[in-house]
Amino acid sequence: MKLSIDEYAGLDSPFHRWDARYKLVGLIILIFAFSFIRDLRLLPAMVLVTAAIYIISGLPARFILRWLRFPSVIILVIVLTLPFLSGERVIASLGPLALHQEGLLAALLIAVRFACIVTVGITLLGTTSLLNSIKAMRALGLPLIMADMALLTLRYLNELGETLSRMLTSMRLRGFRQRTLSPGGLKTFAWLSGSLLVRSYERSEWVYKAMILRGYGQPTRPREEFQARPADGFILGAIVFIAAALVTGDILLGHNIAAILQ
Amino acid sequence: MHIPDGILPVSVTAAGYAATVAVTWYSLRKIKQKEDPRQDIPKASLMTAAFFVVSLIHIPIPPTSVHLVLNGLMGALLGYYAFPAILIGLFFQAVMFGHGGLTTLGVNAIIMGLPAIIAAYIFRLRKIGNKESPRKTGVFGFLAGFVALGLSVAMFVVILLTSLPVDINAAVEQAAIFALAIAHLPLMLIEGVITAFLVVFLRRVRPAMLDSP
Repeated sequence: MKLSIDEYAGLDSPFHRWDARYKLVGLIILIFAFSFIRDLRLLPAMVLVTAAIYIISGLPARFILRWLRFPSVIILVIVLTLPFLSGERVIASLGPLALHQEGLLAALLIAVRFACIVTVGITLLGTTSLLNSIKAMRALGLPLIMADMALLTLRYLNELGETLSRMLTSMRLRGFRQRTLSPGGLKTFAWLSGSLLVRSYERSEWVYKAMILRGYGQPTRPREEFQARPADGFILGAIVFIAAALVTGDILLGHNIAAILQ
Repeated sequence: MHIPDGILPVSVTAAGYAATVAVTWYSLRKIKQKEDPRQDIPKASLMTAAFFVVSLIHIPIPPTSVHLVLNGLMGALLGYYAFPAILIGLFFQAVMFGHGGLTTLGVNAIIMGLPAIIAAYIFRLRKIGNKESPRKTGVFGFLAGFVALGLSVAMFVVILLTSLPVDINAAVEQAAIFALAIAHLPLMLIEGVITAFLVVFLRRVRPAMLDSP
Protein backbone atom coordinates (compact mmCIF):
# COMPACT_ATOMS: atom_id res chain seq x y z
CA MET A 1 0.00 0.00 0.00
CA LYS A 2 1.95 3.01 -1.26
CA LEU A 3 0.77 6.56 -1.52
CA SER A 4 0.79 7.50 -5.17
CA ILE A 5 -1.30 10.65 -5.46
CA ASP A 6 1.73 12.93 -5.07
CA GLU A 7 4.29 10.93 -7.05
CA TYR A 8 4.47 13.72 -9.65
CA ALA A 9 4.48 16.55 -7.10
CA GLY A 10 8.14 17.21 -7.93
CA LEU A 11 7.44 18.30 -11.54
CA ASP A 12 7.59 21.93 -12.56
CA SER A 13 4.49 23.69 -13.91
CA PRO A 14 2.42 26.78 -13.07
CA PHE A 15 0.20 24.51 -10.94
CA HIS A 16 3.19 22.99 -9.15
CA ARG A 17 4.55 26.47 -8.41
CA TRP A 18 1.15 27.84 -7.33
CA ASP A 19 0.95 28.56 -3.59
CA ALA A 20 -0.68 25.47 -2.05
CA ARG A 21 -3.17 27.58 -0.04
CA TYR A 22 -4.37 29.50 -3.11
CA LYS A 23 -4.49 26.29 -5.12
CA LEU A 24 -6.62 24.61 -2.46
CA VAL A 25 -9.10 27.49 -2.35
CA GLY A 26 -9.22 28.02 -6.12
CA LEU A 27 -9.60 24.42 -7.24
CA ILE A 28 -12.06 23.51 -4.47
CA ILE A 29 -14.25 26.44 -5.60
CA LEU A 30 -13.95 25.13 -9.17
CA ILE A 31 -14.96 21.55 -8.33
CA PHE A 32 -17.95 22.84 -6.38
CA ALA A 33 -18.88 24.97 -9.42
CA PHE A 34 -18.65 21.77 -11.49
CA SER A 35 -21.00 19.96 -9.11
CA PHE A 36 -23.42 22.92 -9.48
CA ILE A 37 -23.72 22.39 -13.24
CA ARG A 38 -27.00 20.83 -14.31
CA ASP A 39 -27.30 22.21 -17.81
CA LEU A 40 -25.84 19.87 -20.40
CA ARG A 41 -24.94 22.74 -22.73
CA LEU A 42 -22.21 23.72 -20.26
CA LEU A 43 -20.56 20.29 -20.29
CA PRO A 44 -18.24 21.07 -23.25
CA ALA A 45 -17.00 24.21 -21.43
CA MET A 46 -16.46 22.18 -18.27
CA VAL A 47 -14.49 19.53 -20.18
CA LEU A 48 -12.43 22.23 -21.91
CA VAL A 49 -11.53 23.95 -18.62
CA THR A 50 -10.64 20.60 -17.05
CA ALA A 51 -8.48 19.55 -20.01
CA ALA A 52 -6.69 22.91 -20.04
CA ILE A 53 -5.95 22.70 -16.31
CA TYR A 54 -4.66 19.13 -16.59
CA ILE A 55 -2.48 19.89 -19.64
CA ILE A 56 -1.00 22.99 -17.99
CA SER A 57 -0.29 20.98 -14.82
CA GLY A 58 2.09 18.77 -16.83
CA LEU A 59 0.84 15.60 -15.12
CA PRO A 60 1.12 12.58 -17.43
CA ALA A 61 -2.03 11.29 -19.16
CA ARG A 62 -1.49 7.77 -17.79
CA PHE A 63 -1.68 9.23 -14.26
CA ILE A 64 -5.26 10.48 -14.63
CA LEU A 65 -6.24 7.38 -16.62
CA ARG A 66 -5.21 5.30 -13.63
CA TRP A 67 -7.91 7.09 -11.58
CA LEU A 68 -10.57 7.19 -14.25
CA ARG A 69 -10.04 3.67 -15.62
CA PHE A 70 -11.83 2.00 -12.72
CA PRO A 71 -14.55 4.45 -11.74
CA SER A 72 -16.53 3.79 -8.61
CA VAL A 73 -18.98 0.89 -8.85
CA ILE A 74 -21.75 3.31 -7.84
CA ILE A 75 -21.01 5.59 -10.79
CA LEU A 76 -21.01 2.59 -13.15
CA VAL A 77 -24.29 1.23 -11.79
CA ILE A 78 -26.02 4.63 -11.96
CA VAL A 79 -24.72 5.51 -15.42
CA LEU A 80 -25.66 2.10 -16.81
CA THR A 81 -29.11 1.79 -15.21
CA LEU A 82 -30.44 5.35 -15.15
CA PRO A 83 -31.20 5.49 -18.92
CA PHE A 84 -33.47 2.45 -18.46
CA LEU A 85 -35.07 3.39 -15.14
CA SER A 86 -35.76 7.08 -15.42
CA GLY A 87 -37.65 9.31 -17.84
CA GLU A 88 -40.72 9.25 -20.04
CA ARG A 89 -39.51 9.85 -23.58
CA VAL A 90 -38.52 6.48 -25.06
CA ILE A 91 -35.86 6.74 -27.77
CA ALA A 92 -35.20 3.02 -28.27
CA SER A 93 -36.57 -0.22 -26.92
CA LEU A 94 -35.27 -3.74 -26.83
CA GLY A 95 -37.83 -6.25 -25.54
CA PRO A 96 -38.83 -5.18 -22.02
CA LEU A 97 -35.97 -2.63 -21.86
CA ALA A 98 -36.74 0.93 -22.90
CA LEU A 99 -34.03 3.56 -23.27
CA HIS A 100 -35.26 6.93 -21.99
CA GLN A 101 -33.89 10.25 -23.16
CA GLU A 102 -34.09 11.95 -19.75
CA GLY A 103 -32.26 9.10 -18.03
CA LEU A 104 -29.61 9.00 -20.75
CA LEU A 105 -28.93 12.74 -20.42
CA ALA A 106 -28.81 12.51 -16.61
CA ALA A 107 -26.32 9.63 -16.91
CA LEU A 108 -24.20 11.74 -19.29
CA LEU A 109 -24.30 14.67 -16.86
CA ILE A 110 -23.21 12.46 -13.94
CA ALA A 111 -20.41 10.78 -15.93
CA VAL A 112 -18.94 14.04 -17.24
CA ARG A 113 -19.23 15.80 -13.88
CA PHE A 114 -17.54 12.84 -12.20
CA ALA A 115 -14.64 12.79 -14.70
CA CYS A 116 -14.10 16.58 -14.50
CA ILE A 117 -14.26 16.76 -10.68
CA VAL A 118 -11.89 13.79 -10.29
CA THR A 119 -9.43 15.27 -12.82
CA VAL A 120 -9.35 18.68 -11.12
CA GLY A 121 -9.13 16.98 -7.71
CA ILE A 122 -6.16 14.92 -8.92
CA THR A 123 -4.52 18.10 -10.27
CA LEU A 124 -5.08 19.76 -6.90
CA LEU A 125 -3.54 16.97 -4.84
CA GLY A 126 -1.14 15.63 -7.47
CA THR A 127 0.81 18.86 -7.93
CA THR A 128 1.64 19.32 -4.23
CA SER A 129 3.01 16.78 -1.79
CA LEU A 130 0.32 15.44 0.53
CA LEU A 131 2.33 16.79 3.46
CA ASN A 132 2.24 20.32 2.00
CA SER A 133 -1.46 20.01 1.17
CA ILE A 134 -2.20 19.22 4.83
CA LYS A 135 0.06 22.11 5.93
CA ALA A 136 -1.85 24.38 3.54
CA MET A 137 -5.16 23.21 5.07
CA ARG A 138 -3.71 24.02 8.50
CA ALA A 139 -2.68 27.49 7.28
CA LEU A 140 -6.26 27.97 6.05
CA GLY A 141 -7.73 27.22 9.45
CA LEU A 142 -7.90 23.44 9.82
CA PRO A 143 -7.92 22.85 13.62
CA LEU A 144 -4.54 21.86 15.07
CA ILE A 145 -5.90 18.55 16.41
CA MET A 146 -7.16 17.59 12.94
CA ALA A 147 -3.91 18.60 11.22
CA ASP A 148 -1.79 16.68 13.77
CA MET A 149 -4.04 13.62 13.45
CA ALA A 150 -3.90 13.74 9.65
CA LEU A 151 -0.09 14.07 9.60
CA LEU A 152 0.40 11.27 12.14
CA THR A 153 -2.07 9.01 10.35
CA LEU A 154 -0.26 9.65 7.06
CA ARG A 155 3.08 8.91 8.76
CA TYR A 156 1.95 5.48 9.98
CA LEU A 157 -0.37 4.33 7.15
CA ASN A 158 2.30 2.62 5.08
CA GLU A 159 4.04 1.11 8.10
CA LEU A 160 0.85 -0.40 9.50
CA GLY A 161 -0.07 -1.59 6.00
CA GLU A 162 3.22 -3.46 5.83
CA THR A 163 2.71 -4.87 9.34
CA LEU A 164 -0.72 -6.18 8.33
CA SER A 165 0.70 -7.69 5.16
CA ARG A 166 3.40 -9.50 7.22
CA MET A 167 0.73 -10.76 9.63
CA LEU A 168 -1.39 -12.09 6.75
CA THR A 169 1.67 -13.85 5.30
CA SER A 170 2.43 -15.42 8.70
CA MET A 171 -1.16 -16.65 8.92
CA ARG A 172 -0.92 -18.29 5.50
CA LEU A 173 2.46 -19.86 6.36
CA ARG A 174 0.86 -21.37 9.45
CA GLY A 175 -1.78 -22.97 7.26
CA PHE A 176 -4.69 -20.48 7.50
CA ARG A 177 -6.89 -20.75 4.42
CA GLN A 178 -10.17 -18.91 4.34
CA ARG A 179 -12.33 -19.80 1.37
CA THR A 180 -15.78 -19.92 2.94
CA LEU A 181 -17.54 -17.84 5.54
CA SER A 182 -17.48 -19.43 8.98
CA PRO A 183 -17.68 -18.20 12.59
CA GLY A 184 -14.14 -19.52 13.16
CA GLY A 185 -12.85 -17.58 10.16
CA LEU A 186 -14.55 -14.38 11.35
CA LYS A 187 -13.02 -14.86 14.80
CA THR A 188 -9.58 -15.21 13.21
CA PHE A 189 -10.09 -12.01 11.22
CA ALA A 190 -11.30 -10.24 14.36
CA TRP A 191 -8.26 -11.37 16.34
CA LEU A 192 -5.95 -10.38 13.50
CA SER A 193 -7.52 -6.90 13.41
CA GLY A 194 -7.45 -6.77 17.23
CA SER A 195 -3.73 -7.64 17.29
CA LEU A 196 -2.99 -4.83 14.84
CA LEU A 197 -5.05 -2.39 16.92
CA VAL A 198 -3.26 -3.44 20.13
CA ARG A 199 0.15 -3.02 18.44
CA SER A 200 -0.88 0.44 17.20
CA TYR A 201 -2.18 1.40 20.62
CA GLU A 202 1.02 0.31 22.37
CA ARG A 203 3.17 2.00 19.77
CA SER A 204 1.19 5.23 20.11
CA GLU A 205 2.19 5.43 23.78
CA TRP A 206 5.87 5.38 22.77
CA VAL A 207 5.24 7.83 19.96
CA TYR A 208 3.58 10.25 22.37
CA LYS A 209 6.50 10.03 24.82
CA ALA A 210 8.96 10.62 21.96
CA MET A 211 6.91 13.60 20.79
CA ILE A 212 6.88 15.12 24.29
CA LEU A 213 10.67 14.68 24.51
CA ARG A 214 11.00 16.57 21.24
CA GLY A 215 8.94 19.45 22.61
CA TYR A 216 5.46 18.61 21.30
CA GLY A 217 2.85 20.95 22.72
CA GLN A 218 5.37 23.62 23.75
CA PRO A 219 4.71 27.11 22.42
CA THR A 220 6.66 27.59 19.21
CA ARG A 221 7.36 30.61 17.09
CA PRO A 222 5.02 30.44 14.12
CA ARG A 223 7.01 29.64 10.99
CA GLU A 224 5.79 31.04 7.70
CA GLU A 225 5.49 27.94 5.50
CA PHE A 226 4.02 29.66 2.48
CA GLN A 227 4.94 32.83 0.64
CA ALA A 228 2.41 34.01 -1.92
CA ARG A 229 3.56 35.81 -5.08
CA PRO A 230 1.39 38.21 -7.12
CA ALA A 231 1.06 35.48 -9.77
CA ASP A 232 -0.61 33.20 -7.18
CA GLY A 233 -3.35 35.75 -6.62
CA PHE A 234 -3.74 36.22 -10.37
CA ILE A 235 -4.23 32.47 -11.01
CA LEU A 236 -6.70 32.30 -8.12
CA GLY A 237 -8.64 35.23 -9.61
CA ALA A 238 -8.73 33.53 -13.02
CA ILE A 239 -9.98 30.21 -11.59
CA VAL A 240 -12.64 31.92 -9.45
CA PHE A 241 -13.74 33.90 -12.52
CA ILE A 242 -14.14 30.65 -14.53
CA ALA A 243 -16.08 29.05 -11.66
CA ALA A 244 -18.35 32.09 -11.36
CA ALA A 245 -18.90 32.13 -15.14
CA LEU A 246 -19.94 28.47 -15.14
CA VAL A 247 -22.35 28.94 -12.23
CA THR A 248 -23.82 32.11 -13.77
CA GLY A 249 -24.15 30.36 -17.12
CA ASP A 250 -25.99 27.47 -15.48
CA ILE A 251 -28.40 29.83 -13.70
CA LEU A 252 -29.03 31.87 -16.87
CA LEU A 253 -29.57 28.79 -19.02
CA GLY A 254 -32.22 27.43 -16.68
CA HIS A 255 -29.99 24.64 -15.32
CA ASN A 256 -32.26 21.73 -15.90
CA ILE A 257 -32.47 18.78 -18.21
CA ALA A 258 -36.14 19.35 -19.05
CA ALA A 259 -35.32 22.75 -20.55
CA ILE A 260 -32.95 21.14 -23.02
CA LEU A 261 -35.48 18.58 -24.14
CA GLN A 262 -38.08 21.18 -25.08
CA MET B 1 -20.35 2.57 0.31
CA HIS B 2 -18.91 6.02 -0.37
CA ILE B 3 -20.81 8.40 -2.63
CA PRO B 4 -18.48 9.49 -5.45
CA ASP B 5 -18.15 12.92 -7.04
CA GLY B 6 -20.52 13.99 -9.77
CA ILE B 7 -23.81 12.53 -8.52
CA LEU B 8 -24.98 14.83 -5.75
CA PRO B 9 -26.13 18.41 -6.38
CA VAL B 10 -24.13 21.17 -4.76
CA SER B 11 -26.91 21.86 -2.22
CA VAL B 12 -26.46 18.35 -0.76
CA THR B 13 -22.65 18.39 -0.82
CA ALA B 14 -22.60 21.86 0.79
CA ALA B 15 -25.08 20.73 3.46
CA GLY B 16 -22.86 17.68 4.05
CA TYR B 17 -19.83 19.91 4.61
CA ALA B 18 -21.80 22.23 6.90
CA ALA B 19 -23.01 19.28 9.01
CA THR B 20 -19.48 17.82 9.07
CA VAL B 21 -18.00 21.11 10.27
CA ALA B 22 -20.65 21.27 13.02
CA VAL B 23 -20.09 17.67 14.21
CA THR B 24 -16.29 18.04 14.01
CA TRP B 25 -16.49 21.28 16.01
CA TYR B 26 -18.63 19.54 18.64
CA SER B 27 -16.27 16.52 18.80
CA LEU B 28 -13.19 18.76 19.12
CA ARG B 29 -14.91 20.80 21.83
CA LYS B 30 -15.53 17.61 23.80
CA ILE B 31 -11.92 16.51 23.23
CA LYS B 32 -10.55 19.88 24.39
CA GLN B 33 -12.50 19.58 27.66
CA LYS B 34 -10.07 16.82 28.70
CA GLU B 35 -7.23 17.66 31.04
CA ASP B 36 -4.57 17.16 28.35
CA PRO B 37 -6.28 16.94 24.96
CA ARG B 38 -2.98 16.30 23.14
CA GLN B 39 -2.34 13.07 25.02
CA ASP B 40 -4.81 11.04 22.98
CA ILE B 41 -3.85 12.49 19.58
CA PRO B 42 -1.12 9.91 18.75
CA LYS B 43 -3.39 7.15 20.03
CA ALA B 44 -6.32 8.25 17.87
CA SER B 45 -4.05 8.81 14.86
CA LEU B 46 -2.36 5.41 14.95
CA MET B 47 -5.72 3.75 15.52
CA THR B 48 -7.09 5.68 12.52
CA ALA B 49 -4.22 4.34 10.42
CA ALA B 50 -4.85 0.83 11.82
CA PHE B 51 -8.59 1.04 11.06
CA PHE B 52 -7.73 2.21 7.58
CA VAL B 53 -5.53 -0.80 6.81
CA VAL B 54 -7.86 -3.27 8.58
CA SER B 55 -10.74 -2.05 6.39
CA LEU B 56 -8.69 -3.21 3.38
CA ILE B 57 -8.90 -6.87 4.51
CA HIS B 58 -11.26 -8.82 2.31
CA ILE B 59 -13.57 -11.29 4.03
CA PRO B 60 -14.52 -14.07 1.59
CA ILE B 61 -18.24 -14.57 0.98
CA PRO B 62 -18.17 -16.97 -1.98
CA PRO B 63 -18.36 -16.18 -4.87
CA THR B 64 -17.26 -12.69 -3.84
CA SER B 65 -15.61 -10.97 -0.89
CA VAL B 66 -16.43 -7.94 1.22
CA HIS B 67 -14.37 -5.52 3.20
CA LEU B 68 -15.13 -4.28 6.69
CA VAL B 69 -16.35 -0.74 7.40
CA LEU B 70 -15.78 -0.84 11.18
CA ASN B 71 -17.36 2.54 11.91
CA GLY B 72 -19.20 0.99 14.88
CA LEU B 73 -15.91 -0.26 16.31
CA MET B 74 -14.28 3.12 15.72
CA GLY B 75 -17.06 4.75 17.70
CA ALA B 76 -16.75 2.19 20.49
CA LEU B 77 -12.96 2.57 20.80
CA LEU B 78 -12.34 6.19 19.88
CA GLY B 79 -15.39 7.94 21.36
CA TYR B 80 -15.34 11.62 20.38
CA TYR B 81 -12.22 11.06 18.30
CA ALA B 82 -14.22 8.75 16.00
CA PHE B 83 -15.73 11.51 13.85
CA PRO B 84 -12.44 13.38 13.13
CA ALA B 85 -10.76 9.98 12.61
CA ILE B 86 -13.41 8.91 10.08
CA LEU B 87 -13.17 12.26 8.29
CA ILE B 88 -9.39 11.85 7.97
CA GLY B 89 -9.73 8.20 6.92
CA LEU B 90 -12.26 9.13 4.22
CA PHE B 91 -9.99 11.91 2.96
CA PHE B 92 -7.10 9.46 2.55
CA GLN B 93 -9.38 6.86 0.95
CA ALA B 94 -10.54 9.44 -1.61
CA VAL B 95 -6.97 10.56 -2.23
CA MET B 96 -5.33 7.13 -2.36
CA PHE B 97 -7.94 4.91 -3.95
CA GLY B 98 -10.55 7.24 -5.43
CA HIS B 99 -13.20 5.85 -3.04
CA GLY B 100 -15.69 8.62 -2.36
CA GLY B 101 -14.66 12.08 -3.50
CA LEU B 102 -13.61 15.56 -2.50
CA THR B 103 -17.00 17.24 -3.02
CA THR B 104 -18.76 14.38 -1.23
CA LEU B 105 -16.30 14.16 1.67
CA GLY B 106 -18.72 15.99 4.00
CA VAL B 107 -21.72 13.83 3.07
CA ASN B 108 -19.68 10.62 3.38
CA ALA B 109 -18.31 11.74 6.75
CA ILE B 110 -21.87 12.20 8.01
CA ILE B 111 -22.95 8.81 6.57
CA MET B 112 -20.06 7.01 8.32
CA GLY B 113 -19.38 9.29 11.29
CA LEU B 114 -22.78 9.98 12.84
CA PRO B 115 -23.54 6.24 13.23
CA ALA B 116 -20.07 5.85 14.81
CA ILE B 117 -20.99 8.39 17.50
CA ILE B 118 -24.28 6.57 18.09
CA ALA B 119 -22.31 3.29 18.31
CA ALA B 120 -20.08 4.87 20.96
CA TYR B 121 -23.16 5.57 23.09
CA ILE B 122 -24.57 2.07 22.44
CA PHE B 123 -21.28 0.50 23.55
CA ARG B 124 -21.24 2.59 26.72
CA LEU B 125 -24.57 1.02 27.72
CA ARG B 126 -22.65 -2.16 28.66
CA LYS B 127 -21.65 -0.42 31.90
CA ILE B 128 -25.25 0.02 33.02
CA GLY B 129 -26.62 -2.37 35.63
CA ASN B 130 -24.73 -5.43 36.75
CA LYS B 131 -21.00 -5.83 36.51
CA GLU B 132 -19.56 -5.70 33.02
CA SER B 133 -19.02 -9.22 31.68
CA PRO B 134 -17.46 -10.61 28.48
CA ARG B 135 -20.93 -11.58 27.27
CA LYS B 136 -22.28 -8.06 27.85
CA THR B 137 -19.24 -6.56 26.13
CA GLY B 138 -19.79 -8.90 23.19
CA VAL B 139 -23.54 -8.18 22.94
CA PHE B 140 -23.09 -4.40 23.01
CA GLY B 141 -20.11 -4.72 20.66
CA PHE B 142 -22.34 -6.62 18.22
CA LEU B 143 -25.07 -3.98 18.53
CA ALA B 144 -22.56 -1.16 17.99
CA GLY B 145 -21.22 -2.76 14.78
CA PHE B 146 -24.62 -3.91 13.49
CA VAL B 147 -26.53 -0.68 14.19
CA ALA B 148 -23.72 1.62 12.93
CA LEU B 149 -23.48 -0.12 9.57
CA GLY B 150 -27.29 -0.35 9.31
CA LEU B 151 -27.66 3.40 9.87
CA SER B 152 -24.87 4.12 7.40
CA VAL B 153 -26.54 1.98 4.73
CA ALA B 154 -29.91 3.64 5.36
CA MET B 155 -28.43 7.16 5.10
CA PHE B 156 -26.41 6.21 2.03
CA VAL B 157 -29.43 4.81 0.17
CA VAL B 158 -31.76 7.69 1.08
CA ILE B 159 -29.25 10.42 0.18
CA LEU B 160 -28.27 8.72 -3.08
CA LEU B 161 -31.79 8.00 -4.33
CA THR B 162 -33.25 11.37 -3.39
CA SER B 163 -30.38 13.32 -4.94
CA LEU B 164 -30.27 11.90 -8.46
CA PRO B 165 -30.71 14.62 -11.11
CA VAL B 166 -33.86 12.93 -12.50
CA ASP B 167 -36.88 11.38 -10.85
CA ILE B 168 -37.06 7.63 -10.62
CA ASN B 169 -40.32 5.77 -10.64
CA ALA B 170 -41.53 5.35 -7.02
CA ALA B 171 -41.92 1.57 -7.43
CA VAL B 172 -38.38 1.26 -8.82
CA GLU B 173 -37.09 3.42 -5.97
CA GLN B 174 -38.80 1.24 -3.35
CA ALA B 175 -37.49 -1.92 -5.03
CA ALA B 176 -33.96 -0.46 -5.07
CA ILE B 177 -34.15 0.46 -1.36
CA PHE B 178 -35.48 -3.00 -0.50
CA ALA B 179 -32.83 -4.78 -2.62
CA LEU B 180 -30.00 -2.71 -1.12
CA ALA B 181 -31.28 -3.30 2.42
CA ILE B 182 -31.49 -7.07 1.85
CA ALA B 183 -28.05 -7.11 0.20
CA HIS B 184 -26.49 -5.32 3.17
CA LEU B 185 -28.11 -7.41 5.90
CA PRO B 186 -25.40 -10.14 5.79
CA LEU B 187 -22.74 -7.41 5.89
CA MET B 188 -24.37 -5.87 8.96
CA LEU B 189 -24.35 -9.28 10.65
CA ILE B 190 -20.68 -9.87 9.75
CA GLU B 191 -19.75 -6.38 10.94
CA GLY B 192 -21.64 -6.99 14.21
CA VAL B 193 -20.04 -10.40 14.79
CA ILE B 194 -16.51 -9.17 14.05
CA THR B 195 -17.01 -6.11 16.28
CA ALA B 196 -18.24 -8.41 19.07
CA PHE B 197 -15.26 -10.80 18.71
CA LEU B 198 -12.91 -7.83 18.59
CA VAL B 199 -14.14 -6.05 21.72
CA VAL B 200 -14.12 -9.33 23.67
CA PHE B 201 -10.54 -9.91 22.44
CA LEU B 202 -9.50 -6.39 23.46
CA ARG B 203 -11.22 -6.75 26.84
CA ARG B 204 -9.05 -9.78 27.50
CA VAL B 205 -5.79 -8.44 26.03
CA ARG B 206 -5.88 -4.68 26.61
CA PRO B 207 -9.00 -3.60 28.54
CA ALA B 208 -7.81 0.02 28.77
CA MET B 209 -8.52 0.34 25.05
CA LEU B 210 -12.25 -0.02 25.70
CA ASP B 211 -12.38 3.10 27.87
CA SER B 212 -12.88 5.45 24.95
CA PRO B 213 -11.85 9.11 25.31
